[in-house]
Amino acid sequence: MNHRRSTVIAISALLAATFAPVVTSTSAFAAPLPAFAAAEPNQVTDLTVSQADGFATVAWTPVPGAADYQIERTAVDAANAPTGTPTVVGVWRPNRQINNETPTFADAGFNPGTRFQWRVRARIGTAEQPYSSPVFDTTKAPWGDPAVAGQNLRTQWETTQAAQYTSDANEYAYTAAVDQLSERVRVVEIGRTVQNRPINMLVIGYPTPPATPAAVAATSPLAVNCNVHGNEPGDREACLIMARQLAFSNDARTLGLLKNTTVLIVPTINGDGRAANTRGNTTGQDLNRDYSLIRQPETAAYVRMLRDYRPVAGYDGHEYGNNQAGDLPMLPPRHQNVAQQIFDESLDMIENHMYVEGAKDGWWACPYGCANGSGVGLSEETILRNTLGLKNTVNSLLELRSSGGATRPDEGNTANNRRRKTFSALWTFNQFMDYHHNQLSDIKKARGEAIEFQAGNNGRIVFRGSRVVPLHPAPHPGEAGPREDLPTPDMILDNAPCAYKLTEAQYNGARTDGPNDVGATVAERIAAHGWKVVKVADGYVVPLAQPERGLIPLLLDEQGEEEWVSGERVYPTLTGRHNGPLTISGFACLSGATVNGPVNLRPGATLVATNTTISGPVNAANAAGVFFGDSSVRGPLQVANTNGPVTVIGTNVSGPVNLVNNTNGAAPYFAGNSVSGPLNCAGNSTAPTNLEVRNVVNGPRAGQCSTL
Amino acid sequence: MRTRLLAVVMVAALAVAGCTSDEEPSTAAVSGPLCGELPKGDEPGNPTALASESVDQALQWITVLTTFEGALRASELVPELEGKKAITVLAPSDDAFMAKFSQDNLDELMIKDKDALRTLLRAHIVDRSLSLADLRDADSVTTLDGTTVKVSEADKMARIGDEATTVCADYRIANGRVHVINHVLGNFPTTAGQGDSGH
Repeated sequence: MNHRRSTVIAISALLAATFAPVVTSTSAFAAPLPAFAAAEPNQVTDLTVSQADGFATVAWTPVPGAADYQIERTAVDAANAPTGTPTVVGVWRPNRQINNETPTFADAGFNPGTRFQWRVRARIGTAEQPYSSPVFDTTKAPWGDPAVAGQNLRTQWETTQAAQYTSDANEYAYTAAVDQLSERVRVVEIGRTVQNRPINMLVIGYPTPPATPAAVAATSPLAVNCNVHGNEPGDREACLIMARQLAFSNDARTLGLLKNTTVLIVPTINGDGRAANTRGNTTGQDLNRDYSLIRQPETAAYVRMLRDYRPVAGYDGHEYGNNQAGDLPMLPPRHQNVAQQIFDESLDMIENHMYVEGAKDGWWACPYGCANGSGVGLSEETILRNTLGLKNTVNSLLELRSSGGATRPDEGNTANNRRRKTFSALWTFNQFMDYHHNQLSDIKKARGEAIEFQAGNNGRIVFRGSRVVPLHPAPHPGEAGPREDLPTPDMILDNAPCAYKLTEAQYNGARTDGPNDVGATVAERIAAHGWKVVKVADGYVVPLAQPERGLIPLLLDEQGEEEWVSGERVYPTLTGRHNGPLTISGFACLSGATVNGPVNLRPGATLVATNTTISGPVNAANAAGVFFGDSSVRGPLQVANTNGPVTVIGTNVSGPVNLVNNTNGAAPYFAGNSVSGPLNCAGNSTAPTNLEVRNVVNGPRAGQCSTL
Repeated sequence: MRTRLLAVVMVAALAVAGCTSDEEPSTAAVSGPLCGELPKGDEPGNPTALASESVDQALQWITVLTTFEGALRASELVPELEGKKAITVLAPSDDAFMAKFSQDNLDELMIKDKDALRTLLRAHIVDRSLSLADLRDADSVTTLDGTTVKVSEADKMARIGDEATTVCADYRIANGRVHVINHVLGNFPTTAGQGDSGH
């Protein structure tokens, strides 16, 4: 027992109890005010406090002319007698929320379950106005009934009252217990760290999560990446608490969410860095500069997970050292190769959901950057935010402001600071799930259009450079977003190639850019990203007519800022009009072409067609690869016995489609097409997938394509 | 002497408040402006609970020492320190580290340049147990890196070198004391603010 400390508290309480009625004429502590008491001039009125997990939303009626407001909190006992010192825990400023008519402040940092008094006062200029009448309430205890198995699980962070973060061993034990006690949860190991720590993912659905990654993908899942920088652990603790809520809560909202999708939570992608409290992994690599390059096993594991589970939306959790930022800086994928639809939908999630809900609940969501933040939030495709966008996933960065800053003056106390950060992340991830639930059709529409846009190899290629994040209308919740970051001329390639060709050495050669100077081959990394590759006589061809067209050049073009190899640009072989039959042997790339006649592929040939119209049947038998993006085939499309990739995306076929006996191993893509006629798939070594982008088929769907 | 007087005043005040009856006088009192922000009373990680802990265990509970704690583990100096009869750890707070080193520099030290890291940490450890009072009475201390650092009184705290001051002093651990200080010691260049530490 720390004798002196408790003494100080006792004295403070005593002083407060003695003097408070004198210094504030509205009588703070004892009896509630009579209901008819008239407000003093400039006194805050209509104070309400509502409780949520780890925070209390304080709301009031604004005072005309107020520059800001101070939120005061005092610990009280069951009889509302003060047991602690009245403390200003929050400062509300107009840039905090998009609507100033109904100010709110999410008070957090306290140990959940304790009882408090709250008061709020305005300041006009710097002059403090009278405090409001007090409101007394008990905050919500940590989620979960202590008497109910599963619900009663607690993390190390919770049991130590935030004095310690949850260790790796405690995380594994906790998630294993959640897995064991909840039918809704499956914990899967998606990979291992450099030091061989398991990287786990919680797969959560109702009543049980779908059995396979492909079955999960069919539910349009959402993914939360909780801890990439080992020394930024606040989001991870939120993820662990959220996993328990999802696993054991029986409220209608939770069940409604989980009946319709699957939640993917990776608590610790950087387990080695978390254990060591370093930003990077054990090689010193910042993993959030590696999601495109996947030199490290941690990022490679995450990217393979994305390939297999195909989340349609994501959040990536961080902490941010800029103490002038809002509570929750957020940012969409800005890289200009990200499809416009993904950027727009991500920005919609941030501005039209997070800013709006934040203003209701009192959290200050804002654009990443803010004052002194011009060097952050840029276009590196190595950052998960951008990598996800280039994979057509609606997503946002999430930062938790590291320090209390000027608006939360009581966070010198480390535990208070940690709790505010974690519960603000918990709020955000819950809002993220709600957004996904409510806007899934919009998200899927954006994703589908983005995939079709990319597979059409449309537009210029930008290697580095961002879309501008327009300033939100005043009152802007942050002072400034990240800087413009437009691409410089040397980062633009106006004439996009059709494909990149890699030599045997480039594709399968040993690499030295991983841990201990050993890196996975480009072939292995391409497989991890899930790109389609055609083996040709003198190398390997990666066509851009596929969903990750925005990402491929950044890694295979010599003009890239951080590429793997300098692949050979392969340009279209036909861009104009061709009248009469077209027989293809070897490699053909049709871009913006018009073919008036049938197209036949000889055995071993490869066809890549984007923005092309073919008036006539297309017949590919024993081809090496077939790629259609954003094209039209006026006639039957027959693709059989291909010994390589098959992908048909965003293409109109006026006639029957027959995909049979293709034996590449990976699933053929048949996504976002319109077919006037029957669609038949049979005998393919892996059933074709529509990547959750539905086809419109005016005819029966049969065989392996019966549900596409 | 001033400290004792204050204690008397506080006990008197406490007696007036009528709260002393069942509390034992503490043997693990910490003092300093930052102590109020750290686990206290019967909270997990309170100073009394740490008094019998080894240095590595105790540091895991002092919430402003996450950087120092991680650095000490990374340095692999823990067995050496636990083997010593008595030590004093002058542990810079997380804020002190943040003001001193960039993220990249810290990772470099903790992951790749462990010899430098050990030198840095040895500059924060003394080979005997020194209380706050001992530090205030001393003229200098010699740290494990061989450096002699002058110490002096600074109000109720101790000044260590030219810049550092104890901000929460007198944590007892199994074989000595831990004092939280507000500046990083040693002769390392300041790199804070350099490099890319955005998301």
